[in-house]
Amino acid sequence: MNRRDALKSIAAAAALPSLTRADLGAQSPGTDLTPANISALRALAEVALPSSLGADGRDNAVRRFVAWVRGYKAGADRGHGYGNSQISPPTGPSPAAKYPAQFAALDAAAKAKGAATFAALPAAVRRAVVEAALNEPQRVTQMPARPNGNSLVADFMGLYFNGADARDLAYDAAIGRDTCRGLDGSEKAPAPLGKGLRKSFSGSRRSGK
Amino acid sequence: MARYECDVLIVGGGITAAMVSQKLSELRPAWKIIVVEAGKRLFDFDKRFEYRQRNLDYGENQWPGDFVADQGGRGIISRSMAVGGSALHFGGVCNRFSEEDTRLKSLYGLAADWPIDWKDLEAHYCEAEKRIGVSGEPGPLKEDARSQPYPMPPMNMTWNLVQLKAWAEKSGIPFWTTPQAKNTVDGYNGRSKCHRCNTCEVCPTGARYSPDFTYKQLLAGKKIELHDGTLVRKLVLDDASTKIVAAQAVKEDGSDNSVEYRAKAFVVASGYCWSSHLLLLSANSRFPNGLANSSDHVGRYMTGHLAHETRIDLDVKIYPGMNEQHSLISRQFFRCATDKPFVRHDLRVWEAAAGGPRLRDATGGLLLGDDLVSDWRARIVRGTARVRGYFDVHPDKDSRLTLDPANRNKWGDPLPVIQHKIDAASESRQAATLQHFQEIFAQLAKANDGKVGRVSSLGYQDHPSGGCRMGADPSTSVVDTHGRTHDHENLFVVGSPTQPTGGCTNATLTFVALALRSTTEIARSQS
Repeated sequence: MNRRDALKSIAAAAALPSLTRADLGAQSPGTDLTPANISALRALAEVALPSSLGADGRDNAVRRFVAWVRGYKAGADRGHGYGNSQISPPTGPSPAAKYPAQFAALDAAAKAKGAATFAALPAAVRRAVVEAALNEPQRVTQMPARPNGNSLVADFMGLYFNGADARDLAYDAAIGRDTCRGLDGSEKAPAPLGKGLRKSFSGSRRSGK
Repeated sequence: MARYECDVLIVGGGITAAMVSQKLSELRPAWKIIVVEAGKRLFDFDKRFEYRQRNLDYGENQWPGDFVADQGGRGIISRSMAVGGSALHFGGVCNRFSEEDTRLKSLYGLAADWPIDWKDLEAHYCEAEKRIGVSGEPGPLKEDARSQPYPMPPMNMTWNLVQLKAWAEKSGIPFWTTPQAKNTVDGYNGRSKCHRCNTCEVCPTGARYSPDFTYKQLLAGKKIELHDGTLVRKLVLDDASTKIVAAQAVKEDGSDNSVEYRAKAFVVASGYCWSSHLLLLSANSRFPNGLANSSDHVGRYMTGHLAHETRIDLDVKIYPGMNEQHSLISRQFFRCATDKPFVRHDLRVWEAAAGGPRLRDATGGLLLGDDLVSDWRARIVRGTARVRGYFDVHPDKDSRLTLDPANRNKWGDPLPVIQHKIDAASESRQAATLQHFQEIFAQLAKANDGKVGRVSSLGYQDHPSGGCRMGADPSTSVVDTHGRTHDHENLFVVGSPTQPTGGCTNATLTFVALALRSTTEIARSQS
């Protein structure tokens, strides 16, 4: 592959994970997320993600989570890795199969506090509901490397915080871990995130390998 | 049954076979060369961005289908079985061994000398670097002198490596960048310059060498035939001589199952595991312990190296993720004074993340939103270096690959079991080696107000090799200095199985160099 072809492929790949506004509103049966679920995720993002993301940044995080759920393939080859002796079992059923009950639990907690839905709660109360979801019925101690369905809240947070965007935010630098960036200029420190960059810089997460 | 005839049959389709078939096709362009590989050909380069992304997002195999489900075994056995082999996945590190590796017995009274002159091997290192395409910088030590420059200039040090080099060299230990099979100029062997995608196990731009590129070039030029999805189960001995006359194989897809290959010369290039395995499987009444095994050395002296590793917390600003696979190396400890306790090792330094995001703080309190980011930032004020050294251990004769009658593939063939065992001298050095590493790590940390973390030890032999070791004495080795088996004049074993010892750094370049050296002899002797 020559440089021109490589650059074309990089550009094409960069377009792969993005979703349109229409995607966010789309419904499909099975393990897909409903518009009500997406509203709940937006409300969750307000209390679980950094405030500096702003509305656009939170929307990007929700979009990525929806895209992740929609792109999940059960039974996919997980390989063995370099030098490993064992073949990994294929991917299991979609973690999203466990989400409807958890969305329902968030709404039930909201109703107990006098709101119609989780998304309708005031932010401070919503935070208390989220904390309760991470403490009961089982205490969640960490964000999974990838969503596993055990905790909707931890899955959503993990997908964002384990991603390249969150690392950039934490380091306040455009590291772009998962982006093909070229060698030139890499001897310099990554540029600080500008205010706009902090909100809109997008990328994708990498594996835990 | 399908039957094929050729001048040379190469069993195995990894990097060794790629290099042998490429060179052989140049030296003997009129020869018919067939490469047989049990796994598939994954010539879908245009999908690698997609595979990379699926791996990042979902942990899916970045080389889908690169294994044969029932060709496994027990022990450290890589499951890569596809055209390209383990080198589809490798990180591209192309370190050389040092002269000491070839003279362990003479210099230190340990293990065995290799039956090869260092200058001869060095010339083949240069050839291997050109064929693979290695970028690098010469080290400062005179013992590491090169007869030819690297084919490509070194990869840029990132900001992180610049900082880490400045820190590490305060300790008095010289470091430089690791040579790699990655293009630093556009167009070398028709491939792209590195785009720093940070996923070298699957390079989506083709900047990192993988053998599929070589096979595609050879096939495009009609230099070889490649029979993938074909498992060689047995080599067949001539009734009247010790020559090999045929290889019996089966199609893995089950179609028209049996295949027979007849050739003037047979080259087993199936890696450290499957090469010995095939020779043992090929036992017959005249060689009841397996072909090439009159010395009872096939499958013995399985080797590799061990490692100690730590993380050092430093007063240095690091941005993890700039180029995580690229590292610094020092070869200062490849040499060991003959009047001191023996310890030889490489020393590598990588960027590392000081801490990641966490859901709960040290007291168990929940962290959400800005609180989580604040907690994270507080833990990454200082930088972290990952430091590791592979160290030299030597195999016991009973470090073995054997056939496991209780574990068979769908064809009924017993699968391999590998039980590594280091020799008594290596075992006796373990405590002193660990202490040496603890001192080195402390020396590095002290150079910049650093703190050494927990020292962990690799629990298995990395970069495995051996099983068909080379030697001048047919009673203590399987092949001669060129990979020709002592027992069969037209049967060669090439690459990693022939290494008597595993060195103290990544082995790919070394076994490729050995295989290229063997190729010259194969071309000469079969003419």
